[in-house]
Amino acid sequence: MKINGVEIENTFAEAFPMKAARLIITAINHKWAHHAANSLSGFATSVIGCGCEAGIERELDTRHTPDGRPGISVLIFSTSTKQLAEQVLKRVGQSVMTTVTAACYSGLRTPDRIPLGKSLRFFGDGHQISKLLDGTRYWRVPVMHGEFMCEESASVVKAVGGGNFLIFAKSSGHGLSACEKAIKAIKKIPGVVTPFPGGVVGSGSKVGSKYKFLSASTNHLYCPTLKGKVKNSVLSADVGSVLEVVIDGLDERSVGEAMRVGIRAACVPGPRRGIYRIGAGNYGGKLGPYHFHLHKILK
Amino acid sequence: MKPLKFTLKEAPRQRVGLSALIPDRLHGMRRTAIARIKLQCGNHKVTVGDLFSISGNDAQHLQLHGDLGKFDDIGMDMGSGSVTVRGRVGQRLGAAMRGGQIVVQGDAGDWLGANMHGGLIEVHGNTGNQVGGARPGEVHGMDGGTILVTGNAGMRVGDRMRRGMIILKGSAGDYCGARMLAGTILACGTSGDFVGSGMKRGTVILARRPERITATFNNCGVLKMQFLRLLFQHLTRTYPHLSELRGRGPLCERYCGDLATGGKGELMILSAAYSD
Repeated sequence: MKINGVEIENTFAEAFPMKAARLIITAINHKWAHHAANSLSGFATSVIGCGCEAGIERELDTRHTPDGRPGISVLIFSTSTKQLAEQVLKRVGQSVMTTVTAACYSGLRTPDRIPLGKSLRFFGDGHQISKLLDGTRYWRVPVMHGEFMCEESASVVKAVGGGNFLIFAKSSGHGLSACEKAIKAIKKIPGVVTPFPGGVVGSGSKVGSKYKFLSASTNHLYCPTLKGKVKNSVLSADVGSVLEVVIDGLDERSVGEAMRVGIRAACVPGPRRGIYRIGAGNYGGKLGPYHFHLHKILK
Repeated sequence: MKPLKFTLKEAPRQRVGLSALIPDRLHGMRRTAIARIKLQCGNHKVTVGDLFSISGNDAQHLQLHGDLGKFDDIGMDMGSGSVTVRGRVGQRLGAAMRGGQIVVQGDAGDWLGANMHGGLIEVHGNTGNQVGGARPGEVHGMDGGTILVTGNAGMRVGDRMRRGMIILKGSAGDYCGARMLAGTILACGTSGDFVGSGMKRGTVILARRPERITATFNNCGVLKMQFLRLLFQHLTRTYPHLSELRGRGPLCERYCGDLATGGKGELMILSAAYSD
């Protein structure tokens, strides 16, 4: 299969079940909502090292936020509800509550919930006030900038993490131009985020290492500098850089759709501008229950 | 299916308790059986059929037509469905109501929504005293649900209320929010004396500054309360006829009190924030 002259490998991306929450962060304007959202979703690229994966889903205008202020929707993923609860609480407490004028609400409505204001309210040291509006409890915590508003809890849903595709390019510069087009296209799909910096992974990993203390290490078969050194390198002579786009989403359909639009956008530069091949990362289908076959989703 | 409609034939001489006519109880009953339900009228019994002509068949949606000023306990203990009244109603409308919706196109008497637990009451008219209050013998007033009054209310709005919301598009009498334990009261018109007197927690929001504020309330200054944005967004999105609240807040003058009873309650005065 080829799209715009770019070869699409007959392979699949292997993704895993995760737990996710959508948080709505509002503030006096989008600038300050972004400050809170960027802080909350910072250092949240991979569950292996960060405890969660998070990213900004989209900006919300005043019609689509609970308090009618400009807002940001953030998706946060982790491997279990317990781990997600820990991460959400730490991050909202340290990143949102500390942002001037920011407030935090749940962006989903499901019965499975994790504490938010329910725990953060204690920061109010007894001066906190609870309000129940239409069955939803909110906490008003007096803080130095005024009052921190926070919903009592956030909904948790089953989600899909680790949707991905690989871009085999002439150089990292060529690869980035394709990645940026892909990320721009993926941003339009609701319910997904690309948690790595700029949406792109520059140092994809394999499971295990020669060192016993390390659970993941560089994916040497995809490293262009090791082409002449390692056995079974998957890179052809013309490939000088391999970049990976990782997608986490609230459901399988959203992740598949994000992969589809992302790959199509990444193929736009074509071989003449240094984009040769699109592949995907998997573990032979043995680890993750979600398989996104590239040829199938690009039909 | 047409709503089950009760049209008053003739006003009774004495007060009538109408708590029997709620959707929960009438579900599955034939009209003839409903007509035989006995009601207390003063010191004697009458049947529903004696007082009302009945039509329609949907017991989840009841309509009451006529001047029901002598009819008390309408929608009392109701858990689901809707009751629509076209005309005046008596005392304790929606008292101890647990769910569903009551809409009155007319005035309501005292104890409207007293000890209410859930649901929505809309009164398109004025009400008497003790809206959402505690009936004699009860420790707390309403502890859930929403009461919306488009007109004015009498004294002791939300007396000893514990949770829920009371919204008055008009004015409130004396002792509005007195002895509140928690919950929210919003009065868009004027309010009388002793607002929030003895309140432990809860929020009383006044569109206009009352003539006097009890000495046991302390001024916290003019502040932007983000909670007001959330509240007014919620109200304008949920109740279209409260659209005038759009754009109000978050600036208000905040008083904490009643300091004689712990001081965890608050008065928020919207107009005061803009007057200076």
